[in-house]
Amino acid sequence: MDSAIPELATAGTLPSAAPAAASILGPGEVQIELEVNGERHELSVEPRVTLLDALRERLKLTGTKKGCDQGTCGACTVLVNDRAIDSCLTLAVMHVGDRITTIEGLASGEQLHPMQAAFVEHDGFQCGYCTPGQVLSAVALVREGRMTGDDAIREQMSGNICRCGAYENILAAVRDGARRMA
Amino acid sequence: MTKIGTSIPRPDAHDKVTGAALYPADLIREGMLHAKAVFAHRPSARILRIDASTALAMPGVRAVLTAADVPYNRFGLIETDQPLLCEDRVRFSGDRVALVVAQTPEAAAAGASAVKVEYEDLPVLTDPRDALEPDVPRVHEDRSNVLLHQKIRKGDVDAAFASADVVIEGEFSTGWQEHAYLQPDAGIAYWDEQERLVLETAGQWLHEDRRQIAAMFEMPEERVVIRYAKIGGAFGGREDLSLPPLVALAAWKLKVPVAMQWSREESIVGHHKRHPFFITSKWAAKRDGTILAAQTRLVADGGAYASTSAEVLKCATIFATGPYEIANVATDGIVCYTNNVPSGAFRGFGAPQAHFAAESMVTRLAHALGLDPVDVRRKNLYREGSIESTGLPLPAGVGAREVFERCLEEAREVLPVPLHNGAVSPLRRGIGIACGIKNVGYSFGFPEQATATVELEVTPVSIRSANVRIGTADVGQGAHLVLRQIAAEALDLDLERVRMITDDSSEAPNAGSASASRMTLMGGRAVKDACDQARRQWLAGEEPSATVQYRPPRTTPLDLETGEGTPNYCYGYVAQAAEVEVDVRTGLVRVVRVVSVHDVGRAINRRQVEGQIEGCLAQAIGFALTENFICRDGKVLTPYLSTYLLPTALDMPEIHPVIVEGADPNGPYGARGMAEMALVPFAGAVAAAVHDATGAWVSDLPMTPERVLHAIKESTKNRLVTPAMSS
Repeated sequence: MDSAIPELATAGTLPSAAPAAASILGPGEVQIELEVNGERHELSVEPRVTLLDALRERLKLTGTKKGCDQGTCGACTVLVNDRAIDSCLTLAVMHVGDRITTIEGLASGEQLHPMQAAFVEHDGFQCGYCTPGQVLSAVALVREGRMTGDDAIREQMSGNICRCGAYENILAAVRDGARRMA
Repeated sequence: MTKIGTSIPRPDAHDKVTGAALYPADLIREGMLHAKAVFAHRPSARILRIDASTALAMPGVRAVLTAADVPYNRFGLIETDQPLLCEDRVRFSGDRVALVVAQTPEAAAAGASAVKVEYEDLPVLTDPRDALEPDVPRVHEDRSNVLLHQKIRKGDVDAAFASADVVIEGEFSTGWQEHAYLQPDAGIAYWDEQERLVLETAGQWLHEDRRQIAAMFEMPEERVVIRYAKIGGAFGGREDLSLPPLVALAAWKLKVPVAMQWSREESIVGHHKRHPFFITSKWAAKRDGTILAAQTRLVADGGAYASTSAEVLKCATIFATGPYEIANVATDGIVCYTNNVPSGAFRGFGAPQAHFAAESMVTRLAHALGLDPVDVRRKNLYREGSIESTGLPLPAGVGAREVFERCLEEAREVLPVPLHNGAVSPLRRGIGIACGIKNVGYSFGFPEQATATVELEVTPVSIRSANVRIGTADVGQGAHLVLRQIAAEALDLDLERVRMITDDSSEAPNAGSASASRMTLMGGRAVKDACDQARRQWLAGEEPSATVQYRPPRTTPLDLETGEGTPNYCYGYVAQAAEVEVDVRTGLVRVVRVVSVHDVGRAINRRQVEGQIEGCLAQAIGFALTENFICRDGKVLTPYLSTYLLPTALDMPEIHPVIVEGADPNGPYGARGMAEMALVPFAGAVAAAVHDATGAWVSDLPMTPERVLHAIKESTKNRLVTPAMSS
């Protein structure tokens, strides 16, 4: 979507002539298989398609959110082989053979993941748009053993922006979620 | 009384943590067409020609719509001065000149890039102070660049200045602020089987969106349906129509379902901002700390279109004297059109800008008098029955003094006495205090109402359940839960037995906007009154349902020359103490602790009230320190979250939210609004704390490290030159 407004990328200059359509459309689609939330999905994507767009637009897993599409807000955070990454900063074709977990795959059926339950308990959100990313970043933070105290939580959750400013409650949720995961 | 005052969890919490909650962009389905706007990307120009032939020939492109396709090509919340698609004139870089509709988002984007527009660039007006000059070009040919000049005249400031013990002057500026609601603008639109045009999106006022969109397509309002999906934040930023009428246009015209979403940069360039202000102040006081006079000139940048500029400006004008009763007041509030991004509503609505200057002036006055800023505030703060600068008494329920005294008590507990006496450490700490007042609900005679319908399901002996219909936006603040708690309380029902119908303009009556901190008071009162009436009717053996329109006490427009009038029916009051740490080597300011005390009338949901205080403070930190929106020569230079810095978890201080409950006479169970208040005094408290830490006054927002460092250098220089106390 963003490729169509190159003018913005070079703020301060006036737009140049419109690029030809062919140069925007790029190479054709390729067949790949992605493992998402324990399920294998066959899909056909252009190489330039981000993991975020593949999840949202092809697999219809819309729990992963697009807030900036350039790795500055953290709303699109997913787990790839248990590590938290911004799914907007990586291409779908790079994740063949990886284990991808989105927010939809975190609960076990009706049973919320302990971190999800902690976010509910502590009201760790207002509008909720950043929440999938916050929860997954928190899960990764605990799983990777980086949960060493409040300062660590603040530091390591600082890539997930909450514009509603529910940081205080998010902090409490992560603290409690870590206890529940132990 | 069990449903009120308790911290009941949000009913949508489960959906929000599992990803099941559907926001506008999540509604896009296979088979929908996709719309993409062509932005002007130049601040002022004449459109000579639009050539869509190349775009139309591209694969997947179905249509290129222009101004000629819009039946009534004007919209706006107050004045209809903004075109949906530009006709012959571009007035800011985010203006839209065409809309491309295609089978895929990629094809729409490619098509938008291929629309050729020939422009003749015109002179650009970017400083609202220049807009006042006689020979500058007009942003709108048919009207003056001055959107509004509101005066307040009370007493005789000149006589007061002549007789005062101390007179000080100050100059201030505040910047644009971007809402950066995390969910970028998006929506879908289609015709339903009843031949209604349906728009599913996010907004702040269903029925106002419907009114404006119906007008654009010259349709009866009943044939337009607005539905809100989950809303990913708003903060005033979704009050003006941005993307929604564009996607509606495509569906209306082509008679097929159409989807549209803006990228972050499109959202930042395309929707309005908080107004920048230039403020000059001259205040006078007696030796005992009585403030004698305040003379203020506020010039605001309204940008290219009117939006809510006139109302924001009037609010800033009445708050130019903060929450203080001052005998002699002369205020000139002026808002001008420019070729910058339009300014409009943002949490605080003019009050934070005006308070930054007013609170800085009060503290500086105290210093000039050699008095404690606490004592000067205590002497002048509003009390019950105080006369506003607009000439009439304040609405009953004035909590200004109560929150201030409570703030001092709390601050003594939690804020240590800072060390800033020239210690060797480059990290200096300081404490500042500030007070604030902000209207709850619409002001200045604007028709204020909220309507709710309550339908009871009853047995001969009991009420089994209730449907509550009230058209309100839950933007994340939790309005739907608060209204449900009020209904459950009024009907003595379990929460689960109250069903809320809130998000469809055809299913729920008009409760006004989720803005101006008004929904708990206004919507809550409508719900409570409708519940009470439905219950009375049931007890009387009549139809157990009722529709009630609640109207609060009347307000009036202000006299343009004197400001006389009754601006508001309710105010919220706040007092804050902030502790900061300033690195004098770099100018970086970190907020360490904040005490924020609020008179909320009655906390319907305590945890949500605290959440609003904390969340509002996060945005206040951005406003005061980090969010530096740059628009140069009419071009937005900060269209990304990588260049426009939002506060993160690392920027947050230790927050002590304190709730005071002085009942509002009209609010449901005494509740009044509070969600904007923490932004109002905060920048003033931080400025005072930075001064406490460093001896330097920073007068421009945001207080970037460069500005702080510059102020420290200037103050050191001045101290060397003039050892006497200066203003």
